[in-house]
Amino acid sequence: MIAYIIRRLLQLVIVLFGVTLITFGMLKLVPGDPAVALAGKGASPEKIASVRHERGLDRPFYVQYYKYVERLLHGDLGESLYSSRPVGEMIREAAPVTIQLAVAAVLIELLGIPLGVYSALRQYTFWDTALTTGALILWGIPVFVLGYFAMYIFGLKLDWLPIGGVGPTVLGIIPSTPASWSTLVLPALTLGLIEVAYISYMQRASMLEVSRSDFIRTARAKGLTERKVVWGHGFKNAVIPVMTIAGIDLGVLIGGAIITETVFNRPGIGLMIYQAINSRDTAVIAGGVLFATFFFVFANLLVDLGYAWVDPRVRLED
Amino acid sequence: MPDWDEPTREDRDVYGSSWVTAPEDVDARRADEVVEEVLEEQTKPLGLWADTWRRLKRNRLALVGLGIIIVFIVIGTTEAVFYQMHWHVRASDEAVRSGAPGYLAPYDPNQVNYDLSPEGLGSPPSWQHPFGTDFLGRDILSRTLVATRVAMLVGIIAVAIALTLGLILGPISGYYGGVVDSIIMRAADIFFAFPYILFVLLIMSVLGQGFQNVFIAIGVLGWATFARVVRGQILSVKSMEYVEAARAQGATDMRIIFRHVLPNSMAPVYVAVAMAIGGAIATEAALSYLGIGIQPPNSSWGLMISDAVNYLAGGNWWWLLFPSIALVTTVFGFISFGNGLRDATDPKLKE
Repeated sequence: MIAYIIRRLLQLVIVLFGVTLITFGMLKLVPGDPAVALAGKGASPEKIASVRHERGLDRPFYVQYYKYVERLLHGDLGESLYSSRPVGEMIREAAPVTIQLAVAAVLIELLGIPLGVYSALRQYTFWDTALTTGALILWGIPVFVLGYFAMYIFGLKLDWLPIGGVGPTVLGIIPSTPASWSTLVLPALTLGLIEVAYISYMQRASMLEVSRSDFIRTARAKGLTERKVVWGHGFKNAVIPVMTIAGIDLGVLIGGAIITETVFNRPGIGLMIYQAINSRDTAVIAGGVLFATFFFVFANLLVDLGYAWVDPRVRLED
Repeated sequence: MPDWDEPTREDRDVYGSSWVTAPEDVDARRADEVVEEVLEEQTKPLGLWADTWRRLKRNRLALVGLGIIIVFIVIGTTEAVFYQMHWHVRASDEAVRSGAPGYLAPYDPNQVNYDLSPEGLGSPPSWQHPFGTDFLGRDILSRTLVATRVAMLVGIIAVAIALTLGLILGPISGYYGGVVDSIIMRAADIFFAFPYILFVLLIMSVLGQGFQNVFIAIGVLGWATFARVVRGQILSVKSMEYVEAARAQGATDMRIIFRHVLPNSMAPVYVAVAMAIGGAIATEAALSYLGIGIQPPNSSWGLMISDAVNYLAGGNWWWLLFPSIALVTTVFGFISFGNGLRDATDPKLKE
């Protein structure tokens, strides 16, 4: 296990190196000379040159990259070109809103597991077909489409739920008032339902695959009750890959949360990035993307380690 | 007490779920179907594709998906082929004034003020405009049809870019192994580390908005998926005897890869292609919705949805409904066909 953890951590270092290199490259590739922008309008060539030197923009690429990583390690993600606020501070404010939504959606997403198991146990019945078809349709619905329909029907027409915003919280992410809970319902359901579809589809497939394996046949042959076969042997093995998928899916979920926030006007990382896109504020976009990516990478690491802990075959692979 | 504990006789006969019956116990299908199949199998040998089609045919959802794909490709290409032609004709002569219909689109998709209500919200669906009109009075049916072309183009071109890159890097990685493999696969890891839509956003913010950039961003980011799929296939195929035989005959590496290994590794790639086209169409819609994809006055489903939501409180549901239906149907078509294809080509599921 320790060997696996070390290998996985080495891999993590490589990935983080690549990710930071890419975001750094993107910042460099943005059209326009940053020194000119920083020096302000109508600055003299000498002023521009001195700003360039001050900021280290005349140093070689790898030195600049090294400085960039050094700043990242100190939590410095640069400044917004638009509002001049530190990006790190903007992210600290926005992150709890996004995390609240993502956690709520993950909890909803887990409903897919019992649905998938039910489908698999009742393969080819009416309910299986209905659930599978429903899952495939939901799976293909872009999150903003579902979001606006939910908003139009439940927010605007029926007026049951607020159409946006956030409320007060305790511990950063748990809503503390009924009004605060109600703002979370539509976004979380929108985001969660699409993932429920995906998870239930995967759980069904995984359950069916396990049902054909030899150890299930053995379990039956030794006379175990059907319940023991299904739950003790089948489900236990079938749910593991689905949990991994759920972990990988977190990336989709974060991406989805970002778009959901633009629909329901929640001031999280997504809305921050969206506004930055409109003002072409690359430092903020890169900072937001970097934050979401780190979150995703570490969540994946935890899922993988958990998987390896449960299933020894994984950690012994190559 | 869950009722699957005690499967009834009926359960066994009708559903034949592998849970309620032992796998080799009873064949789930109706007897005449089985007989027919056995006869079919005995009378003629089936190639890979005939076999795949035979199994795909049984999956109704996949057939629905295939039907949807065909319909939308026809709409998309019809527009692509005839739209330009009509354009010149209609822009230049009295056909515009007389309101002559186009090839599929009943109106010029960019013609404004067809039927504008006083509040500037367009008019709800009517016989003249089955999908209603938008905030400039443009015909939504025509715009939805024309946007099909954009969606199909993005889906196909972006995936073609990703597939090309994947089909170059995947085989190299899988066939040579070692350091080359490590480098390519670690690069793929890095690409997978980004939440996909955010990576696309980042690239688009650097490249700037626009038609070609949408292709490039979606296409370039997709390579890792294909490279991984192909590599996995190659690893499983490369130790097979026919590859050894080819090598013994003195075939070059290139010849072995492209002539022997790849053709036998393609089934999962086709599945990935179908899924990826659906994904690319959804991504384009998301980008256009966020305002950095396709730009007006071009028409795109994402763009139409984004127009609609700015006025949603006005109650103009038809702006939102029709492009959404088109988008969701298309994506569903590709995903459902891809899923069916996977089931039909998966050797593990073969009896």
